[in-house]
Amino acid sequence: MAAPPRPLDDGPAFPRPPRHGDRKWNRVTSSKPRGLVVLFKMAAPAASPSFLGLGPASRDPAAVRRRSRGSRNRKKSWKRWAGPEAQLGREIGDFLEDVALQQRATGGLIAEQPDEGLFFVDTGNAEKDRRLNKGKEKPLHVDLVLQPDSKVPAPKNILAHQIPNGRKEKRRREFWRRQEEKGVLPRAERRLRARLQRGGVPPPEKAPEKGRSDPERGFYDIWAADNPLERALAGQDGWFLQQTKKQRVKRPARLRTKPSQVPAVEVIAAGGSYNPTFEDHQALLLRAHEVEVRKKRAEDKVERQLSIPAGTQLPTAATVFQEQCEGLLEESGDEEDGEPPPAQPEDAPKPAPRREKKTEQQRRREKEARALACRQRREKAARCRRQEIFRLRSLRRQVKRWEAELLRRRQARLAKCRAKDALPRRLGRLKYEDPSLEVQLSDELAESLRTLKPEGSVLRDRFKSLQKRNLIEPRERAKFKRRYRLKYVEKRAFREVT
Amino acid sequence: MGGLEKKKYERGSATNYITRNRARKKLQLSLPDFRRLCILKGIYPHEPKHKKKVNKGSTAARTFYLLKDIKFLLHEPIVNKFREYKVFVRKLRKAYGKSEWSTVDRLKDNKPSYKLDHIVKERYPTFVDALRDLDDALSMCFLFSTFPRSGKCHVQTIQLCRRLAVEFLNYVIVSRSLRKVFLSIKGIYYQAEVLGQPVTWITPYAFAHDHPTDVDYRVMATFTEFYTTLLGFVNFRLYQSLNLLYPPKIDGQADVELKPAEGKEYAMDSESYLEKLSALSASLARAVAPTHEDEVEMDEFPVEGETAEQLDARKKEQEALEKHKKLFEGLRFFLNREVPREPLAFIIRCFGGQVSWDKSLCIGATYDVSDPSITHQIVDRPRVERQVVGRYYLQPQWVFDSVNAKLCLPVADYFPGVLLPPHLSPFVTEQEGDYVPPEKLKLLAMQRGENPDEESEEEEEEEEEEEEEDDNDKEEEEEDESEKEEEMKLKKLEEQKTQSSKALPVKVTAGKVRLEDKQRLEQEQQSEEKRLAIMMMKKREKYLYKKIMFGKKRKVREANKLAAKRKAHDTAVKEEKKKSKKAR
Repeated sequence: MAAPPRPLDDGPAFPRPPRHGDRKWNRVTSSKPRGLVVLFKMAAPAASPSFLGLGPASRDPAAVRRRSRGSRNRKKSWKRWAGPEAQLGREIGDFLEDVALQQRATGGLIAEQPDEGLFFVDTGNAEKDRRLNKGKEKPLHVDLVLQPDSKVPAPKNILAHQIPNGRKEKRRREFWRRQEEKGVLPRAERRLRARLQRGGVPPPEKAPEKGRSDPERGFYDIWAADNPLERALAGQDGWFLQQTKKQRVKRPARLRTKPSQVPAVEVIAAGGSYNPTFEDHQALLLRAHEVEVRKKRAEDKVERQLSIPAGTQLPTAATVFQEQCEGLLEESGDEEDGEPPPAQPEDAPKPAPRREKKTEQQRRREKEARALACRQRREKAARCRRQEIFRLRSLRRQVKRWEAELLRRRQARLAKCRAKDALPRRLGRLKYEDPSLEVQLSDELAESLRTLKPEGSVLRDRFKSLQKRNLIEPRERAKFKRRYRLKYVEKRAFREVT
Repeated sequence: MGGLEKKKYERGSATNYITRNRARKKLQLSLPDFRRLCILKGIYPHEPKHKKKVNKGSTAARTFYLLKDIKFLLHEPIVNKFREYKVFVRKLRKAYGKSEWSTVDRLKDNKPSYKLDHIVKERYPTFVDALRDLDDALSMCFLFSTFPRSGKCHVQTIQLCRRLAVEFLNYVIVSRSLRKVFLSIKGIYYQAEVLGQPVTWITPYAFAHDHPTDVDYRVMATFTEFYTTLLGFVNFRLYQSLNLLYPPKIDGQADVELKPAEGKEYAMDSESYLEKLSALSASLARAVAPTHEDEVEMDEFPVEGETAEQLDARKKEQEALEKHKKLFEGLRFFLNREVPREPLAFIIRCFGGQVSWDKSLCIGATYDVSDPSITHQIVDRPRVERQVVGRYYLQPQWVFDSVNAKLCLPVADYFPGVLLPPHLSPFVTEQEGDYVPPEKLKLLAMQRGENPDEESEEEEEEEEEEEEEDDNDKEEEEEDESEKEEEMKLKKLEEQKTQSSKALPVKVTAGKVRLEDKQRLEQEQQSEEKRLAIMMMKKREKYLYKKIMFGKKRKVREANKLAAKRKAHDTAVKEEKKKSKKAR
């Protein structure tokens, strides 16, 4: 900005009519750095159309006959925002926008501002200036940033001054006033008056019942013969209670068995003591170590499966290129397999063997032979059955053996079932996973109760125990899903800073 | 034939199960509400035997419930409450949105709420059923009562849990039913015997703990909601069984003592009351004043089919139990401020001891440090300055170990600054042939009334001396030993001779009486029978028997191995000690 940009600093915000010299200068300085030229180009259109320029392009636009804009045979061109009204509308719009901008920036029209609001006295002497312009110092940037962007005050909260449903309420009041004149009262009023006439005392207000998790709530003997739960129903007909659904449905006996035999509180192994014996601690460490080894082995397995087997060569650029070129390039060496595969004469379909027609005699003989075989088989079976009576003992032994085998199978099945019962079941999408063992290494063990650092969390232990006992299904935390993508906008004040 | 075509998945196990989502839709509840309902009612998911049959041919893992269970849930009145609550929330949100504050107030006044009393009665038809399921309830209540009031769960729930936990502790103190304590790295395990039922629970240490993020707090809060109700009713019944007032009242005179002397208010009345109760130092008021005739000996009713031996054993057990209950009777403890006050006060009071602490530490201190009648002071710092004569200064582990050993252990191992003996788990019971660590052996001997401590100490000293000699030369000693043995034999012979010489000079050679060792004979016969029985076994049984015996032997072998390891470890430790001694 060291060049002579005279046109820029001669007026605060007032538009300036373009002059002929500007253009000339523009032309002259076209070889100057680009930023400067752009600045000027921006300044030129800022001129309001109400100012007349001297160039051929800057005639009164209203006077100039508009060039026809293409054909009018399509609806699209009809809708063009054209014509004198549009021009007027555009001008009004520009004007209003300008006014709004002025209001936003300064809080009112600049033309209506007093001189003091626009200018300050510059005497050239810093001391004097400061004295004269007291209270007009440039505010700090931090304060400016915190100012609202617009100087137009925000609209007031309308609801703060309005009564919700005010008109409806008013109409209702009117209605009841008119009704009252006629002698009709609202129901609540009528009841109150009736009670007054009766002279009855209003029932004492009951203290609100304590909630189920109120720390002050009371308890009673729920297992006694006459507990408050059942007192209301005592002595009434069972059938009546059942039919009127006053009696609760009986809990099925099926629900009395627990879903798992695992104890509710599993005590940690002896090695988990805060001051364990050497052996117990070693045993616990060994167990933890085994778990870790198992984990490591599974990890290694995956890694091994994913890794490239030893001895294979990784493709290089050259091999890849060769592979891509495979079959595209003619090679002189491969010419021997041009001949077609030799045809196989054995492949020709064989004619099916011809069937001779059987004679009547043959058919008869075959039939007889079949009948004889059948009869012999039947007789043999009958004979065997007759002989079985002598095998009674061995048969009995067989039956016994078979029964014993069945018993054994049943027991094995039962044992298997029982073993399965002890394991946590698969209750949902996820499998139950044992929590990691709580272990303190030898150098982590505390010397006294004061220096003990607790390991693990009782809360997690309880939660996992519930899962292990099949009371709740293992779940993972639901992930928060955003329905729409976030749109990032930089605030203006922030943008100015950066 | 003919007839209608049988469609798949319309009979059999497919109709017995229902997926979670279908169940939820049937009950018209949202998933969190459904989950809450299931937990409250004790309805748990099932794993069908043939997943493919139930799941219409798909093998996708789903959560299934029994259809009958869901049908049972349909009758639950709480379901309606859940729906009402949903509507209430909707109305409230609307009123807030329209800023109709009077409507908001009115709605809040009529907030639908439900109680779980009938579900407790339904799930635990008798008191004993409830006692059997108390483990969970106690653990959960103790856990929640340590939570910070940080908005992870309702403050009211935390307060209620604290109240119920303190009430239960007071019951255990009055009934003297605590049996075992175990300090683990996770928390403190307690076991009490409540009306003949063993009840185990775990309490976290009172230190600040982190909140794990992989735990569903909503589920835990629902469980706690139910368990607080259960524990409240159980507490009421337990207090009633001991003739105590419920809610617990501190005994009249103790109450006066506990009142702050100055006019300053300690806290809000309700709060300070709970704090006084949780100090665990005051006795509770009884509904009927106790009479001293209560301590009449129980009548004995021999159970049929019980031999005299069994009766004797039972009686002995009873006596031991009574003795255990009065373990700390007559002892006066003082807790320093660095020891965990609540567990120690609870345990000491459970066994009849008196306990106090610094006045500035907690409300409810009954006597001062300077009290001359204090017998034990629990200290957990390496050195104690300004010791008072006439009391033991002990580390807190002494209290826990004494309770588990059922006797007041010798105090020498537990002095401040002394390396503590290991804290053994009382929940481990060794079977025959298992390895028993030497610490436990010592303890068992002490319980039997022997005093292995001195012996072992002497032994140790001897050993040390021996070892010192060992360093010189081992061979000599072996020779010495053999010489000693020979000398002993000679002495014996001489003694016999002198005895015989002192006796009458007349020599009558009496016929030798062959002493028939009846026991030995019996044993021999038994072993013979056993051998024969083994011989007569069928092949399969014999195989099984051999397997069992092999397992037993292996166990013994392992135990021996462990013992050898321990010995090696011990000697290594001793050597090191010695070296350090020498270095000094």
